[in-house]
Amino acid sequence: MTAQADEPQLRPRRQLPRPSPESQPFWDGCARRELLIQRCQPRGHYWFPPAGLCPRCWSADFTWTPASGRGEVFTFTVYRRAYAPELAGQLPYAVGIVQLAEGPRLITNIVDCAPEDIVVGMPVEVVFEDLADGVTLHAFRPRGDQH
Amino acid sequence: MYQRTAAIVGAAHSRIGEVPGSSSLGLMVDAAVGAVADAGLAPGDIDGVLVRGPDDEYCFHQQLGERLGLDVAWATTLDNGGASQTLSVVLAALAIEAGLATTVLCGYARDAWSRTRQTGSRSGRMNQSTHRRRREWRDSFGYFGEPATHALGARRHMSLFGTTKEQLGHVAVAQREHATRNPHAQMREPLTMADYLGARLVAEPFGVYDCSLRTDAGAAVVVTTTERARDLPHTPVIVRGFGSHNNLSGWTSGEHMVETAARQSGERAYRMADVAPADINVAQLYDCFTYMVLAQIEDYGFCAKGEGGQFVASGALRLDGAIPTNTSGGQLSEGHVEGMLQIVEGVRQLRHEYPVDRQVPDARLALVSGHGGNTVCHTTLILERG
Repeated sequence: MTAQADEPQLRPRRQLPRPSPESQPFWDGCARRELLIQRCQPRGHYWFPPAGLCPRCWSADFTWTPASGRGEVFTFTVYRRAYAPELAGQLPYAVGIVQLAEGPRLITNIVDCAPEDIVVGMPVEVVFEDLADGVTLHAFRPRGDQH
Repeated sequence: MYQRTAAIVGAAHSRIGEVPGSSSLGLMVDAAVGAVADAGLAPGDIDGVLVRGPDDEYCFHQQLGERLGLDVAWATTLDNGGASQTLSVVLAALAIEAGLATTVLCGYARDAWSRTRQTGSRSGRMNQSTHRRRREWRDSFGYFGEPATHALGARRHMSLFGTTKEQLGHVAVAQREHATRNPHAQMREPLTMADYLGARLVAEPFGVYDCSLRTDAGAAVVVTTTERARDLPHTPVIVRGFGSHNNLSGWTSGEHMVETAARQSGERAYRMADVAPADINVAQLYDCFTYMVLAQIEDYGFCAKGEGGQFVASGALRLDGAIPTNTSGGQLSEGHVEGMLQIVEGVRQLRHEYPVDRQVPDARLALVSGHGGNTVCHTTLILERG
């Protein structure tokens, strides 16, 4: 998306996330502009997306931990075809896999950047976008500093 | 240790392409009847059914068995996406070797082109919880469709190794060239590199010619004992070895989109078959997208990881190339039958059925791959002319 991150996007109702009990804390965090990820107590593994147990050691003993919000682009693609009529007005837009500094990777949008300027390895930082219906989504924009 | 007990003795497909009025079940029946006839067998000979249809069809094996009047020892419908069809041949071979069945029908059919003409979901119904998770973690970000998923892999490969769009184009162009000589192929018009580079973009770097087709078709093979195969009309195609690998942790985990499950699957198959990449005469590689062919060429050891772009650009996939690949056009040009046509083509090449402009000379060993199951599951067959 090339629109400003601080304007509510008119995202179709059917695409808004419907949280589950296990993911609700994540979305609540987004609404407070916090990127929360789960971390297991025994070994300190991080994971994403939200799930009831650590995918590495299967422990269900975890905490929701604020992530730094920093990451880098692991890979990305730029949509040129609209997969739903409502998306046509947003083309071209970038979907990326961002690898957080803490390790997990997440699917997101790369914003505030021309699609042709996105590169694998680009440092990014999280931004939050309030949508209709009280939903807040994360996205990532290029990060100025190189740390 | 697998004793090479199984051989493919029959192979057939239905009409391929745009078949208005077709149904998945009807296409599967056509292919099944054709494969059993091709094998020189009768309905009563079949004692195993391993098939797959659209994801919204329940127990496709039972629906097929009801049409064909089959009460059999060994049967199921597979649910491993594009890795299902090669896996069905593996399961047939294992059942035959274990003495649970003697003659197994393996197949796939889907009226995918006709479904694009209907309203509603293209990809079939997902259950509620899968749908909810997709909506939450994908749809919300405008992430839809298989092209984008594989485009993410292509982009990372390009970044790590300098692979270019034009190199991906060599896959599309080579396979279309094979299809121009295939009277059954869905796409038979020549495709130039200029056509490929000028194509409408879908999800970068992919354009329309990077993507496999939507096809109405069914295809099937019959697997039986190597011993029995020798009494049947065609040269037996022996299942010499196989392997599988499944990166269930996900496409975006590790480096699974750059070094795919084909690598470990291939290593297991080569080891079981006691052959090396250099011994393979023809490859039928699961080609949902151009990028997946390039990645598998590397993962199967036909060239080093990262060198696939240069390798395919050198003409390696052509009939006269280092590793003739998808020689009837593949899913990019012949038709997308979830890898089942690749098994059929592997069999036909090893039978030496083709005129000289389509036949890999003296083909003895074929490698056939299946890839899918949310992009991470993979099964490899190594077939040998008997």
